[in-house]
Amino acid sequence: MRLDEYVDDLDRDESVELRRLAEEKSYAVTEYIDDARTRFDETLSGETLVGSTAPSVFVGRSSYPRVSAGLLAPVGDEDDAADYATTGTWYEKGYGIDDVFERRTGLLNSTRRSNVDVHDVWDGFVGTQREVAIADRPVDVELGLEDRPGFALDGSLEDIAAPRGPRVGADTARVTENPSVPRAIEKTLSDDDWRATGAMTYLYRRGLDVYEINNVLSVGALGRGENRRLVPTRWSITAVDDTIGQYLHGTIRNAPTIDRTLVWHTEYMGNEYWVVAAPGEWEFELLELKAPGSIWNPDPNGRLYTAADSEGYEGRTEYVEETSGAYYAARLGVLEALAERDRQAKVFVIRHATEGYWAPVGVWQIRESIRDAVDGEAAVAESFHGAVRELVPRLPVSMSTLRRTSTLAAGIQSDLSAFGGGVGP
Amino acid sequence: MFKAIVSADTLGAALDSVGVLVDECKIRLEDEALTIRAVDPANVGMVDLELSANAFESYETDGGVIGVNLDRLDDIVGMADSGQLVHLELDEETRKLHISLDGLEYTLALIDPDSIRQEPDLPDLDLASEVVIEGADIDRSVTAADMVSDHIALGVDPDAEQFYVDAEGDTDDVHLELGREDLIDLTPGEARSLFSLDYLKDMNKAIDTDAEVTMELGEEFPIKMHFGFAEGDGHVTFMLAPRIQSE
Repeated sequence: MRLDEYVDDLDRDESVELRRLAEEKSYAVTEYIDDARTRFDETLSGETLVGSTAPSVFVGRSSYPRVSAGLLAPVGDEDDAADYATTGTWYEKGYGIDDVFERRTGLLNSTRRSNVDVHDVWDGFVGTQREVAIADRPVDVELGLEDRPGFALDGSLEDIAAPRGPRVGADTARVTENPSVPRAIEKTLSDDDWRATGAMTYLYRRGLDVYEINNVLSVGALGRGENRRLVPTRWSITAVDDTIGQYLHGTIRNAPTIDRTLVWHTEYMGNEYWVVAAPGEWEFELLELKAPGSIWNPDPNGRLYTAADSEGYEGRTEYVEETSGAYYAARLGVLEALAERDRQAKVFVIRHATEGYWAPVGVWQIRESIRDAVDGEAAVAESFHGAVRELVPRLPVSMSTLRRTSTLAAGIQSDLSAFGGGVGP
Repeated sequence: MFKAIVSADTLGAALDSVGVLVDECKIRLEDEALTIRAVDPANVGMVDLELSANAFESYETDGGVIGVNLDRLDDIVGMADSGQLVHLELDEETRKLHISLDGLEYTLALIDPDSIRQEPDLPDLDLASEVVIEGADIDRSVTAADMVSDHIALGVDPDAEQFYVDAEGDTDDVHLELGREDLIDLTPGEARSLFSLDYLKDMNKAIDTDAEVTMELGEEFPIKMHFGFAEGDGHVTFMLAPRIQSE
């Protein structure tokens, strides 16, 4: 399909999409909070010892290195425990912001302060957390709670909008079943002479998705013995995306280039994505355009917020400056598609967060959107800059702003072989 | 056979201009000169270097090619004081390079030249404009542009007889114009190309501020920069592929 036809088709879907978003934004939030509160009240009924099923774990980042280690459990809704874990399945099911909110507010985070240094801790609260993280399905646990869960949802916009469940302090936690651990994870666990990056790559190659690897890394169950420690969830998500991304980047370094300029589009939860892939050696950029009124740019009368980071053929050595975890999540989706086809390309990802993106659901949303976009049918464009020029009218920025903000829009790197020099292709 | 004595400054300058692009390279030990030609892994920036036998205190060779780890060699040479002499001798048997400076002996294991990336071809470019400029002006252009952007446009306005530099960032701009009177020489012709500052910053590190640099420029074409060192006995050409804006 030609790019202009492809774009026309999108117009028709857009109005439907916007209406849906408006409805989502109706602050169903308060209902979810009330529901969760009622459910927890009924289930806990003043008891401090409670049985539940934990699909996932959380490690906070404040007060590092004395962090809060958390077990996440949907107390009172144990049968659906697996659906409370953040994975790509949420995208496949087409969850909206409200669905994510419902899952997150319904997930009790039982926490206990722990030092991150957990090299050989397999008992007590942290031990239980580690067993939950490495298991292949939700694990039955018994939690000894200190008090009643608090819903810290009053306060700033960010607090209210962030779909985060209630927290409660816990004295104890123990596993009440014998969880099954994937063999690949057992292998990385038992080898404490294996660097974390290599172990993560191994798990990925053995078919584990980044969500599972993230759990394992987060509880300090990977890496050389003395380096094993709890890794705050937010950091570990990026670490896994980056590590797997670097591995995939290595696999396509000498791959042939794609032969046409391809353009994909997708929209999810009020985020619009364009992916432009052009022939040439690997280059990547994420440009984020955050509309006034969207979550990270909350003033509805403010200006568009722009951020961009990029890398060349050799990849990055330093952490990105402007786009944080979004960069690594988007890059992973792109690299997976290229590695699968054994091709390299110059890839420009544009993310437009509209005001419909009113709650930060996490970078999984970006990762899965890009994975899905580049898996679909692409439109074909004449050239990289031709494609960008055609997209500009669909974006909230002018061509001149785009060129100032984006390295790739300003110019894509050529190589000397195009001029009869260097080392031939 | 290869045996030479050279000042640490001269050898260091030569290694620096190659080391900004690659970690290892082949060194050709020719009768009249030592030569290096290398391109970075992305095939974007290349260097062509010649260090004449005249630059050495003594220079004996019967030809051949050696492969070296530049970081390693640069570290050793960097230990010498300014003006100190470095003795180099190739051991053909062990494929090691013996380096001695002021009594300090270092034996450097060489790399099999066949395992090093192939030497690049020199593109045959017919570039419209030639600008002869002081290293100091390149340095301040690159430094200022780097404050606002990660790329820089270099061009020549033939009507105004000016060489110019442009960098545009999110909010701030850098612009510099140098006319005939500010340049050492100018052969004007239509020229404007955009370049990655990552590469230009690296190349700039190898250019002395008092060097006379001949830049050849075209329209969305690679830039060539030539300059001498070691009192004219050494010569470097850098070439850098542009970032393409038009297609």
